[in-house]
Amino acid sequence: MGEIVFHQVEKSFGSNKVIENLDLTIRDGTFTVLVGASGCGKTTLLRMIAGIGPATSGQVLMDGKDITDLEPGKRDVAMVFQNYAIYPTMTVRENIEFGLKNKHIPKEVRDKRIQEVCASVGLTEYLDRKPNTLSGGQRQRIALARAMVKEPKVFLMDEPLSNLDAKLRVQMRVELIHLHKQLKTTFVYVTHDQVEAMSMADDIVIMDKGKILQQGTPEQIYHDPNNTYIAQFIGSPAMNVLPLDAENRFGFRPEAVQLTREKVDGARYCRKGVIQVREMLGSETLYQVAFADGQTVSVKMLNDQYRSGDHVVLNVGDNQLYFFDRDGQRIRRAAVGDAQYAALLQTAGGMSDV
Amino acid sequence: MNTYSDQLASKEELRRISRARRRAQFMRRLPGDIVKLAIVILFVFPFYWMISTAFKSYIESIQTPPTLWPHTFTLENFSAIGEMNIDLPMYFKNSVIITATTIVLQLLIMIPAAYAFAKRDFPFKGVLFGVVLLAFMIPGQLTYISIYLMMAKAKLLQTLWPQILPFGANAFGIFMLRQSFKQIPEEILESARLDSASEFQIIMRIMLPMSKSAMITIAMFSFISIWNNYFWPLVMTTNEAVRPLTMAIQKLRDSGDNAIRWNVLMAGNVILVAPVLVIYMFASKKILKAFAYNGLK
Repeated sequence: MGEIVFHQVEKSFGSNKVIENLDLTIRDGTFTVLVGASGCGKTTLLRMIAGIGPATSGQVLMDGKDITDLEPGKRDVAMVFQNYAIYPTMTVRENIEFGLKNKHIPKEVRDKRIQEVCASVGLTEYLDRKPNTLSGGQRQRIALARAMVKEPKVFLMDEPLSNLDAKLRVQMRVELIHLHKQLKTTFVYVTHDQVEAMSMADDIVIMDKGKILQQGTPEQIYHDPNNTYIAQFIGSPAMNVLPLDAENRFGFRPEAVQLTREKVDGARYCRKGVIQVREMLGSETLYQVAFADGQTVSVKMLNDQYRSGDHVVLNVGDNQLYFFDRDGQRIRRAAVGDAQYAALLQTAGGMSDV
Repeated sequence: MNTYSDQLASKEELRRISRARRRAQFMRRLPGDIVKLAIVILFVFPFYWMISTAFKSYIESIQTPPTLWPHTFTLENFSAIGEMNIDLPMYFKNSVIITATTIVLQLLIMIPAAYAFAKRDFPFKGVLFGVVLLAFMIPGQLTYISIYLMMAKAKLLQTLWPQILPFGANAFGIFMLRQSFKQIPEEILESARLDSASEFQIIMRIMLPMSKSAMITIAMFSFISIWNNYFWPLVMTTNEAVRPLTMAIQKLRDSGDNAIRWNVLMAGNVILVAPVLVIYMFASKKILKAFAYNGLK
């Protein structure tokens, strides 16, 4: 078990309140990713679970037990730090063993666990080496092994992949997903990278300025964002958001657009445009399309049929359009009713110039 | 074919160019090297002079012009010290006890102090650290009278303590070890706390091993300054039984009938500094590293 509940949690550094009245439940056994721009409070939450940066007020519960002020060493958690925080003067084995020794776990058990864990992360042949003789990826594995060997209820990870090169990062991402499937324990993972969040999470928690903006599965977050911040944070390139009328705005994803030479039947929003920039990425191509009024939008296509300067028509269907109010909050069909929603669609369609 | 292939040098030419480049580099560095060499000579020469004089006869040691190395090499000066009525082993023993006890005491005080100043928050931290730095800057000549009176009141003057206790808190060591501790990333300590380590274990198993170079430097400096201390035992002691080796060497100077026997005095000095030299030889690499690391080099 490893369910974590934040209840009315607050955190201030001096007079600076970074988190206010926050409630959050991290379900047992999920891979939960806290994601947001730097300074949004995601690492602060993680440190509260670890006990190395306790909440100023409020409660943190683990499986119903109040751990708000419990010492870090007495919680059943393990943490992987961004810079790995490996003890440089100890060998790989001593690094991994340190926590177990401090908990007075018998030697036979220690040896057995170290062997198993190191075999699974591929460190067996480096056990007697010093960390400074190993590569970044291997150090990352030490940090991981050190966490795994403690067999904690909850794994905490603070941007563990951000110091790795792009290729290794993708590989470790897969390994972490696999590890979670094997261990079935709760993972709480902090990142600023929406791709990591989308690819690994069962549950994404999006934060901004100390507040939780939305919690949900990657599918929910992607297809049904609560506001423009989330809509533009998740997905790459970001969602195009344009003014609709005096009050509202509307948006559509770059990958939801059909670029054609002629208007497509049934499309709601159709605009003439010129390809300004083309970025050919291999499997897909990104375009910057400029409208006659000077607005530009991003488009992502799987085929690569246009070149810079080409005249195209941009088509977006009803189901691909998102509407937001003046505060950036989503206007959902269920909330405003069919009639009003149809009016919004009508307005968007009215902006077509084809 | 390269567009500028006629511009490319032949193998012979390339070799000539690299030779010229090496020569130019040598010439560029020459003035700096000469200055460095001069400084080295400035520092090493007194040492060399002490050692060479220690192996000269009395006549040769006062001869003008002086000889650069002993023309007649002799060990007489060392045996002369042995024949004098000076209990060298006793002085040596005092020096060892004073130095060793002081260094142990310093470590006991310095390590927790440096840890607190580097990694903990407490009221008046800045002011207290200022006090430490102040202690670092006040010379012993300013404090010895009041310390002498204190020791007299405590009836410790006939013991080794007046030469140990005043040096128990090593301000320079606290400062330097704090710098070294400060460089240890907070995450490593947090990680250790998550690994259920106590604060004592964190200091002993993680922070001290990571500050090995600084520790060695501090211990080395302490050793040299305590071992070579002359002023303090001179003003603090009245009794031969508690005096260190430096005081014994001083006696050698006055051992001649009416002239200073420099050759014997230098032999005594060689005996005095031999332990320092031996230790430095073993630890020099670590010391240089610590200095480079702390930005003091």
